[in-house]
Order: sequence, then C-alpha cells, then structure tokens
Amino acid sequence: MNCQEFWKRLSKPPGTELDLGGEHRAHLAECVACSAHLARQQELAHGLRHLAESTRGLRAPGRVEGRLLRAFRAQNGATAGMQRNRWLVPLCWATAAVLLLATGLLLTGTRQPATPHSLPAVAEMASADPDGTTADAEGFIPLPDAERIAPNEDVNLVRMEVPRATMMALGFSVSDDRVAEPVEADVLLGSDGLARAVRFLD
Amino acid sequence: MMPGPLESDEEVLLRIRSGDEAAFLGLYRRRQGAIYRFILHLSASASVAEDITQEVFLALLRKECGYDPDRGTLSGYLFGIARKLVLRHLERGRADVPLETDAEDAPLPELAVVQDPLGDLTYRESIEGLRRAVATLPRRYREVVVLCDLEEVDYADAAVALGCPIGTVRSRLHRARALLLEKLNRERTPQGVKELKPARVLI
Repeated sequence: MNCQEFWKRLSKPPGTELDLGGEHRAHLAECVACSAHLARQQELAHGLRHLAESTRGLRAPGRVEGRLLRAFRAQNGATAGMQRNRWLVPLCWATAAVLLLATGLLLTGTRQPATPHSLPAVAEMASADPDGTTADAEGFIPLPDAERIAPNEDVNLVRMEVPRATMMALGFSVSDDRVAEPVEADVLLGSDGLARAVRFLD
Repeated sequence: MMPGPLESDEEVLLRIRSGDEAAFLGLYRRRQGAIYRFILHLSASASVAEDITQEVFLALLRKECGYDPDRGTLSGYLFGIARKLVLRHLERGRADVPLETDAEDAPLPELAVVQDPLGDLTYRESIEGLRRAVATLPRRYREVVVLCDLEEVDYADAAVALGCPIGTVRSRLHRARALLLEKLNRERTPQGVKELKPARVLI
C-alpha cells in the first residue's frame, strides 16, 4: 500500500477512532510521513473535541428567551384578536351600505306630501293608494317611487339615525334650527333589501 | 406541551404557527445553544451573538419565514438564517473584531476546569491556541469547522446552512483542517528559531 492508497482507503475521517486494518498498520510502520501526518490530524480532532466541550455550556442569556416569549405572545394575541374581530368588517360594510341606500332614497324622493299623514297599518300599505304617501297605523310612510310591499313578502326592519332634513323630503315640517339634528327612524326593507318605508321615532 | 422527541420539525413548526407557546419554547431551548455558539464563533462578539440568536427565532415566527422541509431540516435552516444575519451584520461593518486577524480581544469562552494546575495550564493553552487558530481562519473555512467539528452538525445540514453542495462542505472541511494544522505548527515553532542562521566557521 502506498501513501495515496493509505489515505484513500481510510474509512473514517482521521479525527475519529480509527480501526486500522493490517495493511494500514503496515504502511504506518514503514512510512514516517504518513504516521506523523495521521498523528497530527488525530491530535487536531482531539483538540477540536475539547474546544467544543469547553464551549458547550455557552448559551444565549436568559433575557433573550424572555424577549422572544413576549414577541410570541404579542403576535399570537394580535392574531387571535384579528380572528375574533373578523366578522366586524363585513358587518360594518353592510350597515354602511344600508344606511347609504336608505338615506339616499329618502333624500332623493321627489314627491312632497301636501299634508301631515294619517297612519294606516303596514299590511294595508301593501295595497295602499297609488301615490303611496300616507303612513300606516304603525307610522310607516311609504318611500316615494319605492315598490309596494307584497302581502306575503318578507321584510326587515332596521333602526338608524337619519338627518332631520329627511323628514322634510317626506312632507314633515321641520324648524330651521333643527334641520341639522339627526332623527331616529325605523326603515322597512323589502325582500330585495331596498328601503320601502320609514317611520320616524321622534 | 413540549415537542416530543419523535416529533418532526414540520410538526413542531405547525404547532408553533397555531400558537403553541410550549412548542416554541421547547424548540428554542433545544436549539439556541448551538445557534448562539455558531454566531459567537463567526462574529467574535457576545452582544452580536445575543441579538442575532433572537433575530433567528423571531424570523421563525414570521409566516413568510421560508422554511421548506423538503430542502432540509429545521436545524440546517436555523443555522442558515443565523449565517445570513451574521454576514449582513459584518457587511454593514459593525463587527466588533476584524475576522481575518487575531481575535485577541474576543470574549473567551468558558473553559472547563481541570484539577491538575500544570495540566490545566497546558490544556488551557492548547485549547486557547486552537480557539485562536479557528478564529483566524477565513470565514468560509471557519464556518464549516464550527458547524461540523464543534457543533457536530451533519454534512447535509451544514450544506443547507451554507447554501452549498455536500461535496463542497467536505472539501472545505478538509482544507480548513489543513489550515488549522499549519497555524498550530507555526504557533508551536518559536519565531526566533526560524531566524537563526548557521554560525560562520572561522577556523
């Protein structure tokens, strides 16, 4: 076995415990250079193991763990909070859309009732007069140009605040100094989600 | 619940993502020592090692952390993140100690205590000499020695951490050990001896 073959046939890196076969031992016995080189390599591996052991106890200070835990909790708290509040976003949008729609319909109404209203029942409102400007017994006033509610139609009631000026659009008299004040109202939505009638609560 | 011994890295990571604090803590405690020492050996600064260890585990908390189990183990991934952060830090020129020169001012690791004072001194000197030799290796050789010889990371994980093929890890390690031997030999040979010249024979 020559020197090249000796190093090529070493099954393990020189740093590990070598189980040298007869051929290897024979080569080491006759080759001083390989013997010395192997010894140096084993000495280096031994030293590296000691260096590793001497630093094995080194760890990051405890404050790092504390900081990471705080970050972990903050992140997971924030995520959980976001998940809890996820339903709020569509709800807000839906509410805003309904408000906008209802207010728009109220403000763009073109018909002006001439007189203050009598109040027929909601059920009767479905078959109310073609003008649709009279309020039912529960105080609902059909919105101008809105479709009549069919007798068996599902309706929804939404309570909201609208500008008092909306009342003027439906023929109520409002004093100038109170025009800007909001007024609470029930808006009756048809099965298509469109506002059909309104009832002012003040 | 702490990570079980048979639980894969991917499973641990899933539990961490689902908000399992014990899983995160368990992973941190199991891996932080090796990561901290790796950074310490590369940066030669305890404060940098502390900061970057923290950043490595914070990176793990991010959804877009980029860990892909198909590309290697979590251990290799963490060493890789640590290495990149150290390199970024060094590139910014905030290194406390120049890497390619003797790191005389670097914080010394806690050395093991030996009972025999003379033996202890020799032991400390030899270990300290080796530590200096490792610290002054060029970075690409130092990182492979620290990973494979000091932290006993297997070649596959080292390849992931270093972003190179396993064959490159092997060849760098071979070259690194040769360089270490050269350095240690130079250190053992007193400089004055080299400068001695044969005396002129006058008679």
